[in-house]
Amino acid sequence: MNYGSLPAFTLRRLRDGLVVLFLVTLIIFVLGHVVGDPAEVMAPVDASEQEIARIRQQLGLDRPFGEQFVSYFGSLVQGDFGQSLWQDRPALTVVNEALPATVLLTVVGLILAGLGGSFLGMLAGARPESRLDQGANLLSIVALSVPNFWLGLLLIVIFAVELRLVPTSGFTGWQSLILPAGTLGMIHGARIFQLVRSATFEEITKPYALVARSKGLPERFILWKHILRNTAVIMATTVGWEYVRMMGGAAFAIEVVFAWPGIGQLMIQAASRQDFPVLQAAVIVAGAFVIVTNAAVDLFYRYLDTRIHPG
Amino acid sequence: MANSAAATGTITGEHSADGGTTARWRQWLTSWGLLIWVGYLLAIGLFAMTGSDLAPYDPTAQQVLARLLPPFSASSRGFHWLGTDPLGRDMLSSMIAGARLTLFIAVVSTFAGMAVGVALGMMAGYYGGLVDRLVMRLTELQTAMPMFLVAIFFLTVMGPKVINVIIILPALVWPAFASLVRAETMRLRNCLFVEAAVASGCTERSILWAHILPNLASRIAVLAVIEVGHVMLAEAGLSFLGIGVQPPQTTWGLLIAKGRPYLAVAWWLAIMPGLMLGLTVLALNLLSRRLATASGAAA
Repeated sequence: MNYGSLPAFTLRRLRDGLVVLFLVTLIIFVLGHVVGDPAEVMAPVDASEQEIARIRQQLGLDRPFGEQFVSYFGSLVQGDFGQSLWQDRPALTVVNEALPATVLLTVVGLILAGLGGSFLGMLAGARPESRLDQGANLLSIVALSVPNFWLGLLLIVIFAVELRLVPTSGFTGWQSLILPAGTLGMIHGARIFQLVRSATFEEITKPYALVARSKGLPERFILWKHILRNTAVIMATTVGWEYVRMMGGAAFAIEVVFAWPGIGQLMIQAASRQDFPVLQAAVIVAGAFVIVTNAAVDLFYRYLDTRIHPG
Repeated sequence: MANSAAATGTITGEHSADGGTTARWRQWLTSWGLLIWVGYLLAIGLFAMTGSDLAPYDPTAQQVLARLLPPFSASSRGFHWLGTDPLGRDMLSSMIAGARLTLFIAVVSTFAGMAVGVALGMMAGYYGGLVDRLVMRLTELQTAMPMFLVAIFFLTVMGPKVINVIIILPALVWPAFASLVRAETMRLRNCLFVEAAVASGCTERSILWAHILPNLASRIAVLAVIEVGHVMLAEAGLSFLGIGVQPPQTTWGLLIAKGRPYLAVAWWLAIMPGLMLGLTVLALNLLSRRLATASGAAA
């Protein structure tokens, strides 16, 4: 995606991000208002046709589609996501209360994934075909093949039920963070591991490494001082993409498994209660995280690229 | 490793008529590790096609006296390899019965996504220009979107039905096919055989379908195998969250969800279906890697 000079690229990338965010809200709007019928959903079960029509008029649902969307989008921009049908509070407030728990979980999980995956990836890449390499590689493929919520359940059974080392669910203190963050760390760390491993493998045969070896520098020094510099870029961008994956849905299944009071669990609760305002708000907020992180990773990569290849 | 072994033929100077393809395939097929996984996949496929016929017991037959038996236990009905559920139904039979819908949804969704992706990718790669820019834009936007979240919303609004799941899942995979096919088509477009086809008067459509597509087929197949696994995991996630497949239909994801409340007393209810699902996706991943080295190395 070569957009030209750095300032031009930055502007265009930010513009693209806004476009995608706009599209997401449009899709959510279309799905929620045009395809489903909110008036029918919100009316009592035995409401008559006239009552449903009255509710429809009250909510402004009988206005033309374009007008509805403009007013909907206008309120969104001002932070008004409507009123929660289930809790009778502003939907955005409900979402904002759940947000910190999700941020805590995903950031800790990301740190574990990044550190573990990168460290093992470098070790494995530096010793290709060794037992460590083959074992870790196979383990990473397995970790990426199983459902993440299943892995969470398995860890609960082993560590919480059988060994009673940690609580089984809920947010009851820092111990309850171990399993959910650990699950995220394992699965997302696996992909980071794979990419760092192949990047390291490529680097160890490059000329600068051979020069360093011929100078008599110990292998470990070469690895952690020189090669790390080159693989750091891959690590950073992969960590960014894994965060996108987490906020794009992966972390939410984990939240449900561990009854973690974050956006993901909120989303599912809202879905089961047909609370559309809260569900919309949650999807758009989580989506915004995804879009912003995506743009940040792209910009970061492009910025680094400019430093490596100036001009 | 497959790569070095495939190369030794040329190093020692051997040449075979088909460029070593037969030798590579034979070597690939006789590798023991792979045979296990292929056998496993064939078994799952067989279960999917025959439904509950191959199951040791009727998956819906309740036997409340034999409820919540752990794996490897016996009841008056017989031996239960994977235990029984809260109503005494045999777990192994439930899992075999669940294979059908799981595989059906995964394969059909992947196929739909593949069809859309390959068509768009070929058009973008071959025609270039405005068509290409349009398809690229669409793929970029789609990839940047939190598609899984949109899927959650879609299923909540449209109702958690199998048909809706099959409608929304292809949206998760088509960009991968489109990117691959576009890149490959652009590469092949400049090849000599295409020039020859144009010179001999072939229509554009016949060039695309009869000349370019066969060369893409192996790459597409490799990607398709991986994506079936991804779609299977996505469907399991949606069903687990309660917005995918609903009872009385079963998929493995739904079985995991049903077993979850009993995690502390009967762990096998949730863990076993997940194990079967994980092994299936693992088999697909390993198979896809082998396919890639065996066929992609040359093409």
